[in-house]
Amino acid sequence: MDLSLQKIEQDLSRFPPSVGENFRQSSSILSANLTDEQVFAWASFGLQIARQTARSWEPASEYYRVSPDVRPYLSEQELLDWGQVGVDLCLDSPSLGNAFFRVSASCFKQIKAEDIKDWALLGKRLYKGTWKSVMLANKFFEISPNLLESMTFGVVGRFVELLDALSYKSTELATDCLLLGEQILPEFSDDMSALIELSHSLVEHNWREVKSSFESTSQLIKYLEPGQRSRVLEICNEMVRGGLTNVSAFINESVRPLAKVDAVDRGKLLDSAEMLLPFSHEAVAAFLSSAPDLLDRMNQDQLMAWFDSGMGILKDNHDGGLAYFKVESATSERVLDNLSSAVELDKVKGLLGMYCRALAGSGVEVAHATELMSKNIGWVSEDHATTEGSVVYLPDAVDKYETKEENYSLFKVVCTHQVGHIEFGSFNFVFNKPSFLFNETRLARSKTHLGEESTNISEGANSSQEVESDRVFLTDMERFFNLFDNRRLALDIFTVIEDGRLDFRIRTEYEGLSNSYSVVQRDSLAERPEMKEMPLQEAMIEFLVRLSLHQRKGLSAPKKYLEQAKALARIFRRMLNVEALVEDSAEATIRIYDLMSDIPNVEASEDEWTTMDIDMEEEQMSEPDQLDEELEQMHDSSDASDAAEIGLSDEQAYDSPPQVDYRGDFKPELSQLLSTLRMQGDQTGLQENRSDLSKEELEQMLANSAELDMPQDMDGASPEELGALIQNLVQEIGSGQTSESGQGQGMIPHVDEEGYPIEIGEPLTYVYDEWDFRADDYKPRWCVVREKWVPEGDQQYFADTLREHSSLMRQIRRQFEMLAPEVYRKTKHLPDGEDFDLDAVIESIIDKWAGESPTDKVHWRRNKVERDVSVVFLLDMSASTAEAIDDARRDTWEAPDDPVEYMAWLRTRRLEGHGRSYKRIIDLEKESLVLLINALETIGDVYGIYGFSGYGRENVEFYTIKDIAETFSERVKKRIDRVTPLHATRMGPAIRHAITKLEKQDSRTKVLFLISDGRPQDRGYSREGVEKEYAVHDTKMALTEARRKNITPFCLTVDKTGHDYLATMCQDMGYEVLDDISALPARLPALYRKLTV
Amino acid sequence: MTTAKETKLISREFLIEEYVIEKEPYYVPVGDEIELFEAAYATKIPVLLKGPTGCGKTRFIEHMAWRLGSPLTTVKDNKRTQNGSTAIPLITIACHEDLTASDLVGRYLLEGEETKWIDGPLTRAVKAGGICYLDEIVEARKDTTVLIHPLTDHRRVLPIEKKGQILEASEGFLLCISYNPGYQSALKDLKHSTRQRFVSLEFDYPTADVEAQVIRHESGVSAKIANSLAKLGEKVRNLKDHGLQEGASTRLLIYAGKLIKQGIAPRRASQIAVVWGVTDDEEIQESIEEVVTSIFE
Repeated sequence: MDLSLQKIEQDLSRFPPSVGENFRQSSSILSANLTDEQVFAWASFGLQIARQTARSWEPASEYYRVSPDVRPYLSEQELLDWGQVGVDLCLDSPSLGNAFFRVSASCFKQIKAEDIKDWALLGKRLYKGTWKSVMLANKFFEISPNLLESMTFGVVGRFVELLDALSYKSTELATDCLLLGEQILPEFSDDMSALIELSHSLVEHNWREVKSSFESTSQLIKYLEPGQRSRVLEICNEMVRGGLTNVSAFINESVRPLAKVDAVDRGKLLDSAEMLLPFSHEAVAAFLSSAPDLLDRMNQDQLMAWFDSGMGILKDNHDGGLAYFKVESATSERVLDNLSSAVELDKVKGLLGMYCRALAGSGVEVAHATELMSKNIGWVSEDHATTEGSVVYLPDAVDKYETKEENYSLFKVVCTHQVGHIEFGSFNFVFNKPSFLFNETRLARSKTHLGEESTNISEGANSSQEVESDRVFLTDMERFFNLFDNRRLALDIFTVIEDGRLDFRIRTEYEGLSNSYSVVQRDSLAERPEMKEMPLQEAMIEFLVRLSLHQRKGLSAPKKYLEQAKALARIFRRMLNVEALVEDSAEATIRIYDLMSDIPNVEASEDEWTTMDIDMEEEQMSEPDQLDEELEQMHDSSDASDAAEIGLSDEQAYDSPPQVDYRGDFKPELSQLLSTLRMQGDQTGLQENRSDLSKEELEQMLANSAELDMPQDMDGASPEELGALIQNLVQEIGSGQTSESGQGQGMIPHVDEEGYPIEIGEPLTYVYDEWDFRADDYKPRWCVVREKWVPEGDQQYFADTLREHSSLMRQIRRQFEMLAPEVYRKTKHLPDGEDFDLDAVIESIIDKWAGESPTDKVHWRRNKVERDVSVVFLLDMSASTAEAIDDARRDTWEAPDDPVEYMAWLRTRRLEGHGRSYKRIIDLEKESLVLLINALETIGDVYGIYGFSGYGRENVEFYTIKDIAETFSERVKKRIDRVTPLHATRMGPAIRHAITKLEKQDSRTKVLFLISDGRPQDRGYSREGVEKEYAVHDTKMALTEARRKNITPFCLTVDKTGHDYLATMCQDMGYEVLDDISALPARLPALYRKLTV
Repeated sequence: MTTAKETKLISREFLIEEYVIEKEPYYVPVGDEIELFEAAYATKIPVLLKGPTGCGKTRFIEHMAWRLGSPLTTVKDNKRTQNGSTAIPLITIACHEDLTASDLVGRYLLEGEETKWIDGPLTRAVKAGGICYLDEIVEARKDTTVLIHPLTDHRRVLPIEKKGQILEASEGFLLCISYNPGYQSALKDLKHSTRQRFVSLEFDYPTADVEAQVIRHESGVSAKIANSLAKLGEKVRNLKDHGLQEGASTRLLIYAGKLIKQGIAPRRASQIAVVWGVTDDEEIQESIEEVVTSIFE
């Protein structure tokens, strides 16, 4: 060791001992293959560092310590360069240098020596002199090995640039991102530069989002394939540059749904999104969020066709295109509907509902299978059609075939089959009712089956409720199934036979359906499992299923039980009779069950099977007695031999073969139970009903029933599950039939129970479209109108008002009486008219003969059209009508859009109105109504008075004060008293609902009279919450709709600023702005008179 | 034979055409309506026939006129035709809102140099002792309807104001009115004072079996088609009050049958006769067409 080194060592001794120690250790290692000069240079770097500041000894010590570790990666010169870089770093900040040295060795595994300097510069770049930036830079060095491991040096550089840019905004944020990047970026592998680029754009446009975008994009890893991530990120990037601020929202709402589709489809969706990108960023978001759901309804090609037509719209009209891609425009839905081959229940529900009603008689409704499932009363499948005797439940959509026509005809078959259960009495089974085709054996069997237990069944008893060995049967169906040991087997047989009966009956009664039926049956047959792979009992059920699906040739049957199979076919043949009853199905079930119970449920080897053809036509119809005799013989002969021959150990537990899809779920026992319960509920009232049927009885029945798809072992049906089921059943009965359906423009697609609390007695809800003037299209099924009755108050109000305005009233009355119908009468003796008045002509001619000058007034004409007027008054019941009439009118534009604020705003407004001694707008509206009603009663026009208010599009309240079909009564008077200001003013749907009401009237003149106090407004009744014109345009469109339907709309407003928007809203329609609100009571009747003359 | 037509004919000085039913009008009784009508006729109690359109009210009255005194003839120049003294004339008057008292009772017309009184259809029926059938009585104005009151109680007279006469009804005269409660609205209801002068026979569409029989007879289609048509009628009627104001009438079903007989495909025939016949509402039309396509191949 030469002097200079000793000198250095000496100098180092001024620092804490660890420095010297590290120096000594490392120098001895390094000197082995370095020249002295090099060692000296190396050593002096350390000293240089150590001397810099008070804390510099730390990096110096670190420098010496790690040198031997880095040595293997570096040449001599590189080592010295490295030292030099370290020195420079330490000049900026010792701790920076320290961090640099500490990780150097680990980093050098990844980076090339020539990049060392650049790498150090990266760290240095992050250092801004503040302590926070030191932390950042330190952190960077600390995790550099990790970063370098997963990304190239270039990418790291770009990442640091990002951090650098970010750190000018917020160093903490940069630090957070650094850490996040460490975690997330490696997972992106090839796509990471895209993410970094995205973040760069974000820094430029909205730096606060960087972190959350990191967080949300990290989700992408889970959803997307490697290559697709960068595409998504590039789209994001483009959108950010275009002004997208909330990347996380975009990722969550638009990218996340992509996870639902497979990679190929996703790729195509991304292609489309990229095509869309130059035109509209919002449309990209809309498209990406709606497209995956659409793929449930259609295939990729169809989706592309939908997309193309959307592109067309977008190019012409941005808002229209946007609504299109959000599937919030009628055009969009129409195109979708045309393209999709699926038939959706929502689209055909009205049609099929009516169809079912026609077939089975009124009272039958159509509903979604999911509704029944969610009631949890024993039905569990949402894919299968079913019925419980009054409502036909159908799957949401049918998309089995390529074309819409085929799918529709399948849907129709499915639907008709379910209606068939109702029309042809599947649920009307009566235990004691004689069958038509078979000898009755049920009663006898019920005796023998119950054996010694049942000793005293009274012979003549015919009620199903009778006591048999202390057992009460809730339904006849239950009593029937109780005849069998294996209820599941019995139920399966009964189901096949009954379905077969219905199919035959339907095909006979409805020949037009026969072709569709054949197709459906043929395709169902193709989906049946191979019989030979099933245990024998199950195979025999399958045999029956195939028979019922019209397979006649090549049926497999076990050789050994060929006779039984033939007998099955014979019994089934008998059922193919239009006069077969459900009781016949029951009898057939008994016979088949007996045949089946001779057959062990074991698997048979291939050679034990044979095929057979059945000729249904030639099958002789034997007398019932003869058939039974033969069956009896067969039963006897097989009895002895089999049981001995086949070891019972091979026998498998019986399991049902898969059901036939189009026939859906058939639950006769539950259905009968439901209708029995309902009937009792109707008769005895709900309270007693509960005591009528004890919970135990229900429990016993349900536990026994094979219809509940509880876990296979029946004992396993947990008491809780049963309990819940029973509770639901009782509730179901309590709630009575499913709620009446409204007649708006299509029912609301989802069930009420789910979304909204149902108020007791809440009447119908209706759904209406809303006009989006920017998109130039309707938003389909956008608003829900809830019709309610105004509660009844004191009728004194009515009388008081009349008294108060008695002089005005007299005047109005007189005017109206003059209007009173001149009942459609011919006016005769006119000089001109529609036709000659025969009598007048004769008179005239007689006069002429008599020498008098004849009159020329020999024509008649209908002088006055019969007064035939229906009118609906729509009263604004919005909160603003609570204002005092002489108050300076506050600008209702102030209404906040945020729900919480809005309610608070409403409350304060309402409070202000309390304890008032002044008149409010609504009071004047009410007074006018009172006068008007009185006047209207004198001329006998048909009229309805409704108020509207509401909050949000799901809650447009439509209050009935006097229904158009209702006659004026005390109750109406009482209701007027309770008309009060409520919430917001969403006029469009209210007008549309009023139109629906008026449309049902067949008057010659129909008038829609809108009385409001301001412009339409409501939460979300605008575009993006700012464009108030939206509401005005929707209202305008609603009024135009009225016009198209031959209804004369008229708007009367008391808003002095009304001229501004009414001019837009009503354009060429009638409107009036009342300057002096107190003139309303006098003006309203006058206007009405003018309008209807 | 509407009054408008009649007026036109008279003013051109044509005589009323004869309306003779020579063959027995086909009618399948659904209940005891034939006995009831016979009893009412015997005791001269006016009869109100109530029922939906096209269910066979008019056919029933024709049948009864024939039955009570076949062969049946209408009046010609106020004189009963001479063949068969038992024949009961049937005078059908379709009521409409312009129907005046003169239209029913009669008026002076010009003939040559003088005026001549011409009896209205009601007067003729009163004189001839026939059955006067006022179809769709609610369509007539209420003040016109009042005119028939004296004829419908014990008085059985018709005052002829213009001539200053009171006409006593002949022995065989009976007033029948028909009335379709289907389009009951406040405006088109029968006054109680009018209504309570009649015994009511309620008609409804026949059962599917009977209807099939009727369709088969009237249109000549096969039993199978007739059954299917009757089934269609039954199904469509299930929709009454669920969007349909009136069910498909037997008459429409017969029309469909006749078209089928002429070689029109059943689906198409049902469409134009039944589906489009009962409603203009497209959704309901579609639903009914589904029923049609289910029933017919």
